[in-house]
Amino acid sequence: MIPFSRAQPVMASVWHVTLVRELKDLLGEERVLSDPLRRHVYGKDGGIRRGDVAVVTLPATVGEVAEIVRIAARHEIPVVPRGAGTGLAGGAVPTSPSVVVSLTRLTEIEVDTESRTAWVGAGVLNLDLSEHTAPFGLHFAPDPSSQAACTIGGNVANNSGGPHCLAEGSTVNHVLAVEMVNATGEVLMLGGDAPDPIGLDVRGIVVGSEGTLGIVTRALVKLTPNPPAARTLLAAYERVEDAAATVSGIIAAGIVPAALEMMDQPMTIAVERFVGAGFPTDAAAVLLAEVTGHPAAVTAEAELVRTVAESNHATQIRVAADQAERDLLWKGRKAAFGAVAQLAPDYYLHDTVVPRTKLVDVLVKVYEIADRYDLAIMNVFHAGDGNLHPLMAFDASEEGVLDRVHAAADEVARVCVEAGGSLSGEHGIGLEKRDLMPLVFSEVDLDAQARLVEAFDPNKLFNPDKVLPTGSRCFDLGRPIPEGTWI
Amino acid sequence: MGWVTAEAPRPAELSACVDCGLCLPHCPTYRLTGDETASPRGRIAAMRAVAGDLVPIDDAFEDMMSFCLQCRACEAACPSLVPFGRAMEGARAELTAQRPDPVRRTRHALLGRLVSTPVLLRLATRAIGLARRSGALRIVPSALRSSLAGMRDVPSTPPTIRGAVHLAQGEERGTAALLAGCVMDPWFGGVHEATIELLKRAGYRVVVPTTQTCCGALAAHDGDTRRARRLAVRNVRALQAVDLVISNAAGCSAHLKEYAEWAGDGGAILADRARDVTEVVAAAIADGRLPKLSMNRGAVAVQDPCHLRHAQRIVDAPRVIVAAAGYQPVDLTDDQCCGAAGLYSMLFPETSNELGENKAAQIRVTGSTVVASANPGCEMQVRAHLENWYSVAHPVELYWDAVRENETLGPGTDSRGE
Ligand SMILES: Cc1cc2nc3c(=O)[nH]c(=O)nc-3n(C[C@H](O)[C@H](O)[C@H](O)COP(=O)(O)OP(=O)(O)OC[C@H]3O[C@@H](n4cnc5c(N)ncnc54)[C@H](O)[C@@H]3O)c2cc1C
Ligand code: SF4
Ligand code: SF4
Repeated sequence: MIPFSRAQPVMASVWHVTLVRELKDLLGEERVLSDPLRRHVYGKDGGIRRGDVAVVTLPATVGEVAEIVRIAARHEIPVVPRGAGTGLAGGAVPTSPSVVVSLTRLTEIEVDTESRTAWVGAGVLNLDLSEHTAPFGLHFAPDPSSQAACTIGGNVANNSGGPHCLAEGSTVNHVLAVEMVNATGEVLMLGGDAPDPIGLDVRGIVVGSEGTLGIVTRALVKLTPNPPAARTLLAAYERVEDAAATVSGIIAAGIVPAALEMMDQPMTIAVERFVGAGFPTDAAAVLLAEVTGHPAAVTAEAELVRTVAESNHATQIRVAADQAERDLLWKGRKAAFGAVAQLAPDYYLHDTVVPRTKLVDVLVKVYEIADRYDLAIMNVFHAGDGNLHPLMAFDASEEGVLDRVHAAADEVARVCVEAGGSLSGEHGIGLEKRDLMPLVFSEVDLDAQARLVEAFDPNKLFNPDKVLPTGSRCFDLGRPIPEGTWI
Repeated sequence: MGWVTAEAPRPAELSACVDCGLCLPHCPTYRLTGDETASPRGRIAAMRAVAGDLVPIDDAFEDMMSFCLQCRACEAACPSLVPFGRAMEGARAELTAQRPDPVRRTRHALLGRLVSTPVLLRLATRAIGLARRSGALRIVPSALRSSLAGMRDVPSTPPTIRGAVHLAQGEERGTAALLAGCVMDPWFGGVHEATIELLKRAGYRVVVPTTQTCCGALAAHDGDTRRARRLAVRNVRALQAVDLVISNAAGCSAHLKEYAEWAGDGGAILADRARDVTEVVAAAIADGRLPKLSMNRGAVAVQDPCHLRHAQRIVDAPRVIVAAAGYQPVDLTDDQCCGAAGLYSMLFPETSNELGENKAAQIRVTGSTVVASANPGCEMQVRAHLENWYSVAHPVELYWDAVRENETLGPGTDSRGE
């Protein structure tokens, strides 16, 4: 089959009119948005790029999703799944006029308390799920900082993680099965309720595929018992090195805290201004550690964490007195990205992984890079697993600043990869880091991935141009992949 | 063509949004629809598109803006402190300026005049009273009828508090001017009485200047900016030379605090002195000027008016007050808008109704039949959606009832100064 020709002149053309009419016949007037303003509004996610939307659909059932896919396939127009649009890598941003499928109306939850699992609609918000299962003493473990807003479908697509994934693992460890609409509009059931399904683990491939293989409509997720006790500690340091040494010290002491998070000073200041939780704004680094489990073990581990922090010159150690204080501290940490906008109107959030032992070295280099490009930089990280989030705040209206941001981001990615790290901890590749893929994957690796996508979606119907750089399929261009340049 | 008014959304307000989406789950219209274009982030994106001249102010823009409840839940949730309420008022001002619409113009003229003219409001009150008693209310449009369904029983010629001066009891701390309000005066006399009695006991001389008028919140939210300015300027003149300006309607106190926007330097001074009654009474309870009663009166469901909780971030005060009356305050499942939202219940009756039903359901599961609500619109909405065995009152009324009872029964249960 011929790949879709996606360079069509936009809208108002006959195909657009018929496409919209067919979709409206299916969904009614209200759930198909085709006016220029509304299309514009859907052209962006939480990242910094904007794309081209042909029409937005708001299906409410898997059957409607399948039918939308069939209509789009017939019109040879790409389909871009969208959850809450909190993605930071441009994953839900269409690169050419596309049908955006918003999954937010698929919000059914069916809990099986006996097996501690739940079938969850793709549009259910992460935190809503945990609140829904709270009466059963259960929660969904992956807790991205955006958990109040992001959808389960988005979590599955991006294999999202969060502060508490240090001990619990990311989304892929908590998804047993997915229901997915494929490129021909059929509904597949991948995986099953057994933890280790027989046959090829296709479910594992779909988790983290960023909407390039199909549209996830439901997922069977594992629920984790709420810990009987939890304690959150905050430690402040005069030197970032001491905070990093504490992280290594805690892990070396044999504790795997439920969460271990670090913020540097500029970040702490911004966060404090929003939550007013008493974060020490004069500290060079602040560490948040949470231990969970049985009350006795929690007390012992919290003591150990305190000792390690003290021996690494913590200037202040505070233990959250109650749930309210705990919630406030985490609210602060989870609002970190948004709080940056108080400093400058735009931000670029990087998501890289560095080996824990190299954290300090990398940080020093990151500060140096920011300095050189004259950018304000602040850092938050899931320190336990070395997932580093440098954040550059800038004002896009300033001439040439975007070039500087991209150049700096590019260098930061390289520094992390050179230190033995990886390109993305959790936010996905999307558009944002697509062209850096060759930094970590060889031609052969990329070719294998491209073949995999092709097997699911030969016509590149779903979320084309994402994740894999153009030319990943070796014979496409017949030449080596160009050096990763930032688009 | 971009913006044309001085109130238009400002570049700094719009650029403060970083598109993180953290406000989305807090937005009632997004929750109901799952639609980005019914979300705060989507509305800001639309404002930016107009500001950047990418799209004109068209039907789509008007629909997106009008559907917003202006509940400001997004504002309280936003880590980058986007002043959404202000920006939305600007967008509404632009709609008025750029989209001439006879319906809007009539609404501005009629409602605007009605709420700022006590005589008219009193006539209307009498007419509503007659209509309710005779059953003639059945012939008025259903949207208006359901907005009035939760009205208190009001005497046909209600008394007014305008012009009153009340001396402080005990040592005087200062003078407080009370905003009589529009519907507060004829329809919510009980709240005014409680407010005045409690303020007196808290050490304030209470004055109610006659030259004051409606605060202008409804006009500001509806894009009737000329009227909003005029009313604000009049109030600044009427409410001078006092220490505090107090309102017992959360929507009004929130708006008074934004007077700098509407009445220049004088407005800024008034804004500085503006307080919601719940803040003042809770503070007096905290430092022992008003008693904490130890009687057990059972549970009370606390409904948080958006303009108290989200716009003014006042959360504890109503709870402190009902607790001091001897009730156990019970929180509702969430702090989402009840759907009253000023004129919203008339413009989008379906959405308003759905939100009202949600709120009523949340109140029912608390098991309490007493509800505290610190805003007249919310009170009416909540009452309209609940069965008639629920009683809904302002927290200061619940407290004043208890204080009065305690005063007449003698101080046996009083724990003043504890
Ligand atoms: C303030 C902030 C903090 C964040 N913190 C974290 C964090 O700690 N950890 C983390 O991992 N991420 C984080 N993120 C990134 C983002 O929130 C997550 O990646 C999240 O899982 C995206 O979910 P969403 O519903 O918003 O998806 P969207 O942004 O709408 O989509 C993301 C991708 O998934 C695809 N997709 C969405 N739904 C489906 C579906 N049903 N089927 C197939 N494909 C689909 C889209 O096409 C797109 O490629 C953060 C973002 C923000 C703004
Ligand atoms: S929370 Fe604030 S910054 Fe984030 S999308 Fe909403 S308005 Fe914008
Ligand atoms: S004011 Fe209320 S309805 Fe309007 S965008 Fe904000 S949260 Fe949504």
